[in-house]
Amino acid sequence: MLPEERLRHCLPAVVCGILIACAQASAGRAQTLSGSVSSAAEGAMEGVLVSAQQAGSPITVTVVSDEHGRFRFPDGRLAAGHYALRIRAVGYDLDGPQAVELGAASAEVALKLRRTSDLAAELTNTEWFMSMPGTSEQKRALIECMSCHTLERIVRSTYTAEEFFPVLKRMAQYANNTTQARVQWRLAAREVRDDLVRKLASYLATVNLSSAPTWPYALQTLPRPKGRASHVVITEYQVPRRTIAPHDVRTDAQGNVWYSNFVENFLGEIDPKTGEHREYAIPVLKPDAPTGTLDLEADADGNLWLAMMFQTGLAKFDMTTKTFQIFPVQAALDNSATQQSMVMPRAWHVDDKVWTNDVAKQSIMRLDVKTGKYELIDPFEFLAKGRQHSPYGMAADAQNQLYFMDFGDENIGRIDAKSGATTIYPTPTPKSRPRRTMLDDQGRLWFTEFAANKLGMFDTKSESFKEWDVPTPHTYPYDVFMDKNGESWSGGMASDRVLRFDPQSGRSIEYLLPRSTNIRRVFVDNSTNPVTFWAGNNHGAEILRIEPLD
Amino acid sequence: MTLDRAWLRVALIVALTLAVPGLLRAGGVDFTDDDTTTDDEGPPYFGFVREVDGPGIADAKVTAELKNRGALVTRTNIMGVYKIPGFGKDINPDDVTISCAKDGYKEANVLRRTRNDVKDPVEVECYLKKD
Repeated sequence: MLPEERLRHCLPAVVCGILIACAQASAGRAQTLSGSVSSAAEGAMEGVLVSAQQAGSPITVTVVSDEHGRFRFPDGRLAAGHYALRIRAVGYDLDGPQAVELGAASAEVALKLRRTSDLAAELTNTEWFMSMPGTSEQKRALIECMSCHTLERIVRSTYTAEEFFPVLKRMAQYANNTTQARVQWRLAAREVRDDLVRKLASYLATVNLSSAPTWPYALQTLPRPKGRASHVVITEYQVPRRTIAPHDVRTDAQGNVWYSNFVENFLGEIDPKTGEHREYAIPVLKPDAPTGTLDLEADADGNLWLAMMFQTGLAKFDMTTKTFQIFPVQAALDNSATQQSMVMPRAWHVDDKVWTNDVAKQSIMRLDVKTGKYELIDPFEFLAKGRQHSPYGMAADAQNQLYFMDFGDENIGRIDAKSGATTIYPTPTPKSRPRRTMLDDQGRLWFTEFAANKLGMFDTKSESFKEWDVPTPHTYPYDVFMDKNGESWSGGMASDRVLRFDPQSGRSIEYLLPRSTNIRRVFVDNSTNPVTFWAGNNHGAEILRIEPLD
Repeated sequence: MTLDRAWLRVALIVALTLAVPGLLRAGGVDFTDDDTTTDDEGPPYFGFVREVDGPGIADAKVTAELKNRGALVTRTNIMGVYKIPGFGKDINPDDVTISCAKDGYKEANVLRRTRNDVKDPVEVECYLKKD
């Protein structure tokens, strides 16, 4: 048989084989889901978030409608099946359809929206801040409320100032790793000044429903996304218990996602391809103390370290054996108020030292990994006593010199690893309360100024600052991450938006998130193109992935 | 005090008032977030960083160093003025060294003014000359 004849004989079989392989590969995958969004009030609507969640799946995928009111899920992203649909567009509810059946072929839906009858239920914390009357100093006191709950809880209450007083006093005794799903009490009582509590209570009674059935001020809303802010795919990974409070999130070399649980003693892991969820129990050292961990960092070997909050001490998680090594705080430095919220193991191999903090003592601590002993360093010992300091976000350079944020005040600090000497750099903006930070490969610290509504950069070589206002007021950014392209990514507890900001051009994009989202640590996976943003929804029991389309 | 010197002081006070407002730092980390003042604060340090016989130098680094213990670092504003909040009251200002630096310059002289009262701010002028 000639080669041409042989080919002619084989060709049908080859084509059939390819078709069968293609069919097998696409089995269970719908072609795509696309459609339109409109309302009687606006016609075709841009910037509406459309979310689809398959029945029984922990994964929800969201896309955003374009300027023609059209949306389209990425090809092959949704498997065939029954999907619940939801939308986010402030001022509107989804009239229908509420669900769609996806088969092997592409599906098209025409979503109709109607004006909402409960606008207040759709407001972000940022929009409540914008709406409430009051001075910036009065509102400033509320930025801590978001750690545990939304502002909607306050403004829907009917408490008078007198009734608020005991509520606020009680809440002050909750641990900061408290959520509505899981309230935890501090072991050591915290002192709060009655006069300041009364002042806050009086203000809150002017913005809630204590004097009238509706709010005595107009509800302000932010515009819907448009343009590049709609070029995005957002994936939510629901975790199996409502009480799980993802705080810090990061990916490993294999692309799996790890998170610290703020209120329970587990380290969590998710396979982003399948949504499969695993947990690793962290030993409980103090049964009566609040549980949960905060800072989650990787060391140079890729092993994970956790700051154990009121359980005190640090936990190292070996990524190979999947086991913990616990470093409890020695008795001389431990008491019922001791709290390690941060850990910085990045360069611990340099000197066998891992940095951490004690919130209660407003101090830095340093673990000697070989001996398991901690030393206490007061970086503010030469400053005036009586000020509220709080060493918080941390970064270490290649020599294991520590840079830390003074979240209680307005400073960045540096501790020399050898001499222990501290250098304090006040931020240009007073009362800034710098929060979390990351050190890039050019020696620049990127950080958020939580109370000043700014992003900041401290160049460790020139010892100089730059600051940028975030575009939306009352965003109160929690954390920032500089990606490989020179763009910074930030999120927080207020706006339900993720900020993508180019410090060179000053251009920014804000991606609206599909639902109320309390973001803490943010992380960018630079191994993908474009980069992928990750964060936890601390009050929403989910992990978020944002894939920009440009 | 000469007339020039008097004008310089007035200019310095105006510049400080305009450029460094609200130097008191924030208070708590909880919902009782109000300004706090402390009576433990020592005198602040302030002054110009300027070229020898020349204008003030903007964005110069100013370091107030307490030997072997630590330092506070700030930068001058557009007029060359700096202000560094005080150390603790237990710190003797005589133990605090003020220095200044800027790329392309080297320190020429540091002039500390005599204070009338121990509670007075410490005025230190720092002179740089081009490399």
